[in-house]
Amino acid sequence: MEQVVLHKRDLKHWVDLIQGGSQVFVPSRVSGEIFFLPYAGQLESDLLRGNAALPYLPPKDLVFPQSETLFSFTRGAGDIDFSVPEKPSEKRVFLGIRSCDTVGLHWLDHFYLSNFRDLYYQNRRDPLTLITIACNQPMKNCFCICCEGGPFLHPETTAFDLQLIDLEDHYLVESNSEKGKALLDLNRNLFSQPDPGIVEARDQEEQKSHTRFLKEPTSYMSAAIRGITSNSVPPEVWTELGERCFDDGGCTFVCPCCSCFGVGYTAKGETGCHYRFWDSCDYSGFTREVSGHNPRAEKGERFKRRFFHKLSYHYVKRDGRIGCVGCGRCITACPGEVGMPAVVERLRRG
Amino acid sequence: MFIRSDGKEAFGCLPMTLHPVSEGRLCHRGWNRFQNLRSLNRLSLPLVREGSNLKQVAWPEALQKTTEKISQLLSRHGPQSVGVIGSPWLTNEDNFRIARFSCDILGTSHLDGSYRFSGASALTALDRLFSGSFGSLGSIPAIAQSPTILVIGKESCRDFSPVGSRLIKAFLHGSTLVLADPLCTRKEHFFKHLLSYPIQNLATALKNKEGLPPEVSTRLLEPGLALIFLADQVDSASSLLSLLHSLSPQSAVESHLPLVLPLSRSPNLKGAWDMGIRPGAGGSTLHEMLGEESEVKGLLIFGDDLLNHLVTSSMLAKFKSLEFVLVADRFFTDTARRAHSVFPIPLLAETEGTLTNSEGRVQKLRPFLDPQGENRSVAHILHDLSRLLGKDFPVLSEPEMRKEISKNFFTYRLVASESELEKIGGILLPSPTAQLTLDILQPPEQAPEGYRLLVPNTLYAWNRNQMIHESPVLRIEYPSDRPAVRMNPLDARELKIRMGEKIRIRSDRGETQIPVELDETIPSKVLMIPSHLAELVESLAGKAVHDGAARTVFFPNLSVSVEKI
Repeated sequence: MEQVVLHKRDLKHWVDLIQGGSQVFVPSRVSGEIFFLPYAGQLESDLLRGNAALPYLPPKDLVFPQSETLFSFTRGAGDIDFSVPEKPSEKRVFLGIRSCDTVGLHWLDHFYLSNFRDLYYQNRRDPLTLITIACNQPMKNCFCICCEGGPFLHPETTAFDLQLIDLEDHYLVESNSEKGKALLDLNRNLFSQPDPGIVEARDQEEQKSHTRFLKEPTSYMSAAIRGITSNSVPPEVWTELGERCFDDGGCTFVCPCCSCFGVGYTAKGETGCHYRFWDSCDYSGFTREVSGHNPRAEKGERFKRRFFHKLSYHYVKRDGRIGCVGCGRCITACPGEVGMPAVVERLRRG
Repeated sequence: MFIRSDGKEAFGCLPMTLHPVSEGRLCHRGWNRFQNLRSLNRLSLPLVREGSNLKQVAWPEALQKTTEKISQLLSRHGPQSVGVIGSPWLTNEDNFRIARFSCDILGTSHLDGSYRFSGASALTALDRLFSGSFGSLGSIPAIAQSPTILVIGKESCRDFSPVGSRLIKAFLHGSTLVLADPLCTRKEHFFKHLLSYPIQNLATALKNKEGLPPEVSTRLLEPGLALIFLADQVDSASSLLSLLHSLSPQSAVESHLPLVLPLSRSPNLKGAWDMGIRPGAGGSTLHEMLGEESEVKGLLIFGDDLLNHLVTSSMLAKFKSLEFVLVADRFFTDTARRAHSVFPIPLLAETEGTLTNSEGRVQKLRPFLDPQGENRSVAHILHDLSRLLGKDFPVLSEPEMRKEISKNFFTYRLVASESELEKIGGILLPSPTAQLTLDILQPPEQAPEGYRLLVPNTLYAWNRNQMIHESPVLRIEYPSDRPAVRMNPLDARELKIRMGEKIRIRSDRGETQIPVELDETIPSKVLMIPSHLAELVESLAGKAVHDGAARTVFFPNLSVSVEKI
């Protein structure tokens, strides 16, 4: 891993340089809400202060959109023409992504690119470089500290590209991939070698950040993992939690790690397309069979299944980590107030 | 809510975390709302009937032929031969235009909404209660502070997440939640009590203080009560009035008025109602327009699939016999297939205007898609029809329409303020300051012998709605009803009836044979047939019961016997 220093006054210049060869997405406000939108010459002030805002919609949407065409077809004179969406020709850079979202994207990489290679995901992911801002301020519902989702990234656990760490007037820039290095190589004169005490200063910043995050809601993950893995959670607890789930699917849609999709089909006359869309294990139709039989008809069963996938050791062993990065979006999305921390706390009580 | 688009089509949506009602939460319809925007089933060109076929034509020809038909009806039979149907799927501005067009251009007072059988009874009751337009009867965020909440129908929290989230907040703060639902066997843990009563029986039980747990009787009469129900499920105005009266014994004290939230599955039920989409003096309701003796010979239907709403086969027969039907809609619906002229209009996502939600909050709709195909706005359609009829109906902009609305409807006086409308959360209409004066009590339902057959319209508005049809997720979530009766599995076991097997159901008015679907959520000794299975329902219930206040019909619960064939 390479470490260099970037003065904050040079950040915009560097972004402009990146923009010359890539499409840059930065957190931007629309009606007060934050989205990753194409960079248009301005950076949000919190980014310049060394803190990235957490958009409600995770950046997974840019590599795995809520809905996308898989292929379309047109019946011609005797033949059927098929077309698959073209691969994005331009490189893309996400600047200002929070640590938890970077970890979430790597979780999706594991799902979509390790066992089989999903063409559509890969086409969007390959040209993508992530510039993470190490978090120094927790948002309202952050609990990444309980999920190894932040606030700082470490190369031994997350294969990030670049990480920016706020050190007053400067960023310490950590490069951990060839893609990251390529962005530093755009103009090496913008970057200087760190002073001898910089590693110590970095560790102090991380420690301070940890202290701030500890004030936020924390989750008893180990108790929940043990209870779920050993199947020792009483069924009535799942029933109770399931009753608070309104089957809206919001938690799965805003979860940086949730990867389930369904496939739809639409046609009119001689043209049509197949497309996929985010699906949710909250939905009763997720597992209902054509006959009408549903192996998980009860809400409690669906709820249990969701958290089994998120927290059981079976999946931790297979996927390398729990399926939660502690971003806290499910807390915002859940009308039943059963986001991850509330569930984990309930499981701990038994 | 944000709809996300790649410039060509919508591919996702996201609720606003800063919105005072949603706070970033949606139900599953909301989260999948964008999917019908990519439907290939959109109407793109006007259609005109030629023999048994509908033929695509250019707008001038479609307008000309449609105007000729309307003129023929007007000259032969007079203005009252034409009926007009507005819709809760149109904006306030468009509904107000439709109301003005009916009155000023056509001269007919036969105007109504497609909601006559699914919501109008509840709104009629509230109008009577407050002697006119009732504005807002309480905000959704305020539910969380209510010490006692009476929820009628279990869908009221599940299918309306912003409401459900306030119920949970209230529960966590120690409020008492009571669920009333005759089609429910098990309450969720956050409900303290489950009352298996239909609305009218609940009103009687409250009035007589019989059969209810003492705590329920006491708490429901304390100040600060919130009453939440699905307007679509209120079968008669008098049943809701009875309940409201039972809940407000000290009616002269304003603070004792409960917070009332009539929920709706359509986006603008209250707005369409408030904009005057209901009969004028001497006019007929939709039920009356499609009555056997009706003078209506032609219908102009805007923004809805009317056939989905008709609850009796005689109305369907009358509809089929109409001399002329114009449908202005977004999709090629069942109603459009039977029309003589079909005009494509923009989706709400392509329309500017305002909608009024269940709590009386007027919010601005911002179009994010360009109108597709040859869609033409309701404003321009009405203008063109008027011009060809030799009259002037100017195309006013949406802000100009809002000024007109603010002048015509006192509770909407603030909607002319564009700056207020631009605020996140829009404008909450003022609350009424009225006294409860009516005391309409229905006779209590007789305790049934044998089985009780319930005929709710709970399901049909969902799974036959175009929004559901055009979304793959929602199509799976709301599978179509099969023509079957739902029954508790324990009852079926007792009668040795298996899933799918036919049974004979007898009432004192008729009998039918119908397959059984087993449903654990249906209480024992209760059968359920969705009301849109009109022929089945009529074969048992005979004629529908007339709701004099709302001038509509409904099928009351029936006592029936069941036997295996």
